[in-house]
Amino acid sequence: MRALPVPDPGTPDTRSPSRYLWWTMRTQWRPLVIGIGFAILWWLGQALVPYVIGAAVNAFTAKDSGALVRWSAVLLGLGGVQAVSGVLRHRFAVITWLSAAYRTVQVTGRQATRLGATLPKRLSTGEVVSVGNSDIASIGNALDIMLRGSGALVAIVVVTVILLSSSLPLGLMVLIGVPVMVAAVAPLLKPLHHRQQRQRDLYGDMATRAADIVVGLRVLRGIGGEQVFADRYREESQRTRQAGVRVASMESLLEGMQILLPGLLVAAVTWLGARFALDGQISGGDLVAFYGYAVFLIAPLRTLTEAADKLTKGHVAARRVCRILNLDPEITGGALAVPDGPLADRESGVVVRPGLLIALAAADAEDAIAIADRLGHYTPGDVTLDGMPVADLDFAALRQRVLVADNAAKLFSGRLRDELDVRGAARDDDLARALHTACALDIVEALPDGLDTEIAEAGREFSGGQQQRLRLVRALLADPEILILVEPTSAVDAHTEARIAERLGKARAGRTTLVCTTSPLVLDRADLVLYVADGEVRSEGTHRELLQADPGYRSTVTRGED
Amino acid sequence: MARQILPVADRAQVRAYARRLTLKYPRQLGGALGLHVLAAISGLAGPVVLGNLVQAVSEGTSIDLDTLVLAFAGFMIAQAVLTRFAVYASSALGERVLAELREEFVDQVLALPLSTVERAGSGDLITRTSRDVDALSRTVRQAVPETLIAVVTGVFMLGGLLIVAPLLSLPSLVAVPLLWISTRWYLKRARDGYLRENAAYADMTEGLAETVEGARTVEALGLRERRRVRTDTDIARSFAAESYTLGLRMVWFPAVELGYVIPIVATALVGGLLYIEGWVTIAQTTTAILYIQQLIDPLDRLLSWIDELQVGGASMARLLGVANVSDDRVATGVQADGEDLRATGVRYAYRDGHDVLHGIDLDIRPGERLAMVGPSGAGKSTLGRLLAGIHPPRTGAVTVGGAPLVELPLDELRGHVALVTQEHHVFRGTLRDNVLIARPDATDEEVRRVLEAVDAWEWVSAMGLDTVVGSGGAAVSPAHAQQLALARLVLADPHTLVLDEATSLIDPRAARNLERSLAAVLDGRTVIAIAHRLYTAHDADRVAVVEDGLISELGSHHELVAAKGAYAALWDSWHGKSR
Repeated sequence: MRALPVPDPGTPDTRSPSRYLWWTMRTQWRPLVIGIGFAILWWLGQALVPYVIGAAVNAFTAKDSGALVRWSAVLLGLGGVQAVSGVLRHRFAVITWLSAAYRTVQVTGRQATRLGATLPKRLSTGEVVSVGNSDIASIGNALDIMLRGSGALVAIVVVTVILLSSSLPLGLMVLIGVPVMVAAVAPLLKPLHHRQQRQRDLYGDMATRAADIVVGLRVLRGIGGEQVFADRYREESQRTRQAGVRVASMESLLEGMQILLPGLLVAAVTWLGARFALDGQISGGDLVAFYGYAVFLIAPLRTLTEAADKLTKGHVAARRVCRILNLDPEITGGALAVPDGPLADRESGVVVRPGLLIALAAADAEDAIAIADRLGHYTPGDVTLDGMPVADLDFAALRQRVLVADNAAKLFSGRLRDELDVRGAARDDDLARALHTACALDIVEALPDGLDTEIAEAGREFSGGQQQRLRLVRALLADPEILILVEPTSAVDAHTEARIAERLGKARAGRTTLVCTTSPLVLDRADLVLYVADGEVRSEGTHRELLQADPGYRSTVTRGED
Repeated sequence: MARQILPVADRAQVRAYARRLTLKYPRQLGGALGLHVLAAISGLAGPVVLGNLVQAVSEGTSIDLDTLVLAFAGFMIAQAVLTRFAVYASSALGERVLAELREEFVDQVLALPLSTVERAGSGDLITRTSRDVDALSRTVRQAVPETLIAVVTGVFMLGGLLIVAPLLSLPSLVAVPLLWISTRWYLKRARDGYLRENAAYADMTEGLAETVEGARTVEALGLRERRRVRTDTDIARSFAAESYTLGLRMVWFPAVELGYVIPIVATALVGGLLYIEGWVTIAQTTTAILYIQQLIDPLDRLLSWIDELQVGGASMARLLGVANVSDDRVATGVQADGEDLRATGVRYAYRDGHDVLHGIDLDIRPGERLAMVGPSGAGKSTLGRLLAGIHPPRTGAVTVGGAPLVELPLDELRGHVALVTQEHHVFRGTLRDNVLIARPDATDEEVRRVLEAVDAWEWVSAMGLDTVVGSGGAAVSPAHAQQLALARLVLADPHTLVLDEATSLIDPRAARNLERSLAAVLDGRTVIAIAHRLYTAHDADRVAVVEDGLISELGSHHELVAAKGAYAALWDSWHGKSR
């Protein structure tokens, strides 16, 4: 068995959902074809069992012990074929399923990283996450059913031929009866699915309520309100229960029908067959065989129904995947080498001069974010680096050179050391220095395995202030030429903020840093402060100069507390 | 993986609980079982009829075909009708038991001791609430009835075989060792294998979700290659887990498939030979073959649901475990005399031998506003929790009106002191519901008043009090969520409030306004604010500077500035004065 994942998932065909599904099949045609072969063999093994049992009955009713032994041996052989082909079919089905699902994960994940900052603008998280949660399984199922589905088709054809050649009227009875029977329960399926959907919805609501209770438990236990929530949960739980009972009433009806309809058909076959047998047209063994076929045929017909359902769902899933795969990043770069020099945003007049720790204090927090995004070339703007438009510069190199670290940035799950040192180049003392600068040593010390602790996704075990300090450590360790920090200390206390402000300049000595902040503790430590109001630089100077000179600045940073 | 902090019930507890559940509704259970038994008995007719027909055909004896087939059809109809009601009855019972189980679980979650809730974090509990409740639902809704039906059907089919042709029940026994040994071998390994498989699969989809949610960060930090490697590593791990369970099935599947066919072969061969020798009739042999063939279905159901039962048992153990957390507060019947809050000689340690508070003495005057400042990790939040009566101090005491906080019943404690942290959870429900949590009987006018007190009325009235928020509802920013949390607290109206960075997510300037209007509403209440911003300290009556688990400075803002200590230095640098 070839190990998965494949190193390169290849380029998917995203022109249409069907083509995407076809692409996943083409990329693994070999296991798919072999699997279909085994599936056919497996179904045939089952389809022939009634025939062989009939023959064995004929043998012993004729008191032919030799034939009996022979047919028993054939039956055993058939069992062996079934066992072997069944498990091999299963094996190839699993491989096909996994390989389609994994490939979809790979291309979606790679596409997400290709889209980068464009992704949150164009797609909701839910849309992409549902790829991981359900779509990959639906695509896997669509491929998996190809195996059993093709086998079922062959089995139906074979049984048809056997039946018609043994007895035309009996054969017709079975061939018409079985599909009619399968179709007869179809009207029950729609209301059943409807009720199931309702039950699932209610169950989902209830599960959300439970999660809500757990996440908000501190609040509930802190100020009371448990009873209200217990009652609400109970109410939803009982509603879910009633919906479940309604599903059960439909399901049990279906179950009853699935005994009744085949039962009546088998009774009819038995009656007609027995008449023919009593007339001497067919033997007792043939009668047993017909009985067996009528029972058997239900299974492949259900598989065909299942196949139709799974292919439809696979198609829907493939459409979602294609939609994601067909997006292109909004912002791209050019081919020119990235120069050294000042980074300037014409629109606001902000110029980030090399080698300084510059602070940007904006009267409106939105302005600071907009300027940072333009400077970092996340949104289009009239921005130049050493006089060259950033849009013409090599994109990857620009990202390497200029890092915008904002509070929306995510921490990823993994070993803390690796998640902080994303470039993988930091030595232990670099790490220690960055942790010191961001006042984050106490966070690491409180962890059971220190820097080797595995952290959960989005760093959710850390408080807001802790996450912020860890993000700062990560940005410092990335050590870009130009670092743009957006409100890096908004969630830490004043003592800690004062320490970070004091240490930041030293840590970034010789490099260029722009800090967007309104905290006087940080502003006071900057080489230069730019004050932005109404989207433009109003004044610049040191913190103290501006406090004296610009009343607007003063009221922005002191929050009118004088 | 969330660290597991809450206990798990032991085997005996799970068994006792399952037994209690089973016997709780004896009539419903008896009814459902009875119906299943009758349905199974009706299903025994088919093979007997066919056996007799084959015998009549082969031996040329006369037979009343129409009556026989009609009887056959009658039994079929009976079986169908009985099955319908049997399945319905057992599902309805299952739904009822399931609802009780989950409601009891949620009640227990809601009764978890404060100290456990504060310490445990939500990861472990969320896993139990989602995955374990799901797994148990699957077990109770499907696995239990399926195995029940399989056992009943199987037992009665064997019984039928014993009555019709006792001798012919023996040949099929040859397959028992094969089925037994292979299934035991499989089950021993399957559960862990599938748990690992599910965990690896969940890691893979979570990894994808992380890449998606952090797409901008990936671009900013150039993490493309790392995410690609992470995805592929997750896939490789998932594939390894899948390969392991596939390997198990590669052994088990053929073994059971052979185990199903061998009895048919043995019965046909031995039955046929016995007939030829004259020991049994054609009818007996044919019926026996058909019984054995039909026995495959219940047997297959039974085997395929057994491991699901195991998973359900494990989930149940985790759900029941929540009840094993012992209560942390014992109401001793002491009465609070007055409202003054006092800490004397308080020491506290999360881990033995590592005190984070080293003997704190603090008298809080009723009605004063005290701000606590200090570097992170100094013990401010811990002290806040002790002052709110959540944890008992290791040594020393925290008392209100002379009564230790941890000896007061929870309801009474809440009347005295409440804690709001920087956590900003918005509950699913309307905005009104979110405020009403602590006092469901408050009027809309009161709701309006408290929302105005936290500067939230403007946006709340713009959205409408009936707007559904929280998971799946309209979005509420973290800053607004903090306002809701404060409004809730104001409505609960305890005489002492502990605010742990309760405005940290609100824009600094807005936060100051909020704190001022809040102060007006809370006039006369005692407020202990763990401050994030210096103006909170500036506006307070007294400031306590907490450093290294001790209160290093205590006094009014002006006193501390005049004292020229650590606080004064910080204040000066905030104001850009000389250091």
